[in-house]
Amino acid sequence: MPLWFARGLRRGIVTTRYPARPDSSAAGLPTPPAFRAGMLDHRLADLLVTVCPSRALYRDGDVLQFDVGRCTACGRCQEAAPGAVAPSGEFELAGTSRAAFVKQIPLAPEVGR
Amino acid sequence: MAEQVRQRVARQFGRSLHIRTLDTGSCAVCEQEIRLLGAPHYDLHRLGFFFTPAPRHADLLMVTGPMIRAFDVAARKTYEAMPGPKLVVATGACALGGVYQADAFVHGTVDEILPVDVWIPGCPPSPLALLQGLLVAVDRLAEKVSGLTFTADGAER
Repeated sequence: MPLWFARGLRRGIVTTRYPARPDSSAAGLPTPPAFRAGMLDHRLADLLVTVCPSRALYRDGDVLQFDVGRCTACGRCQEAAPGAVAPSGEFELAGTSRAAFVKQIPLAPEVGR
Repeated sequence: MAEQVRQRVARQFGRSLHIRTLDTGSCAVCEQEIRLLGAPHYDLHRLGFFFTPAPRHADLLMVTGPMIRAFDVAARKTYEAMPGPKLVVATGACALGGVYQADAFVHGTVDEILPVDVWIPGCPPSPLALLQGLLVAVDRLAEKVSGLTFTADGAER
């Protein structure tokens, strides 16, 4: 069978080969944020907790708790703190334990006043 | 014991799985993504997954929405009509407790009414995320989320 025929047959198939091969449409997906822990202080963390419309963020002392399960990837936290928050790029987020979705983000220690 | 159940799940559901979707009050965007699974680009049939409207034929219950209280009885009836072994997959941020808080009209999370086996976050979860979730549910893919830290300092992931 000529190579061009096999190649055309392959290219003509739009069906994704996920999970055997990565899917190119994954690059454009909105994804939950990744936090630069060293850049977040208490004040900024409290701001992020306030802007989150889905109650995914909660500050517990020196730790910012991020519940990925509640995140809608709306981007408001990234908009509020663009240097400290960026898209994580992770979309394969299924999990078997609900507790595993709650991530602890250490905050920058408070400078003494 | 848990290992036996997982092996049984993989053996029984690894090749062909029938899915019943259940909307407990969602905005239906999750349903749109679930519907796309049947379209040619994602094609869940190539992985051995099929949708069925009958809970009595279903192996897996795919639940969206924040579980409005008016739906409690119907949700329990659907779950109880499914023959064992069965799995429940909570799909979308609403089902996981985000977006809507518990109040007089809504539970806010589906695990107050149904026992959930796999959680798929997203608003909505893309069809790829749904496929990954279904494959995790039947033990054909390992879950990733427990190993992710969502911090971005240097190369840490």
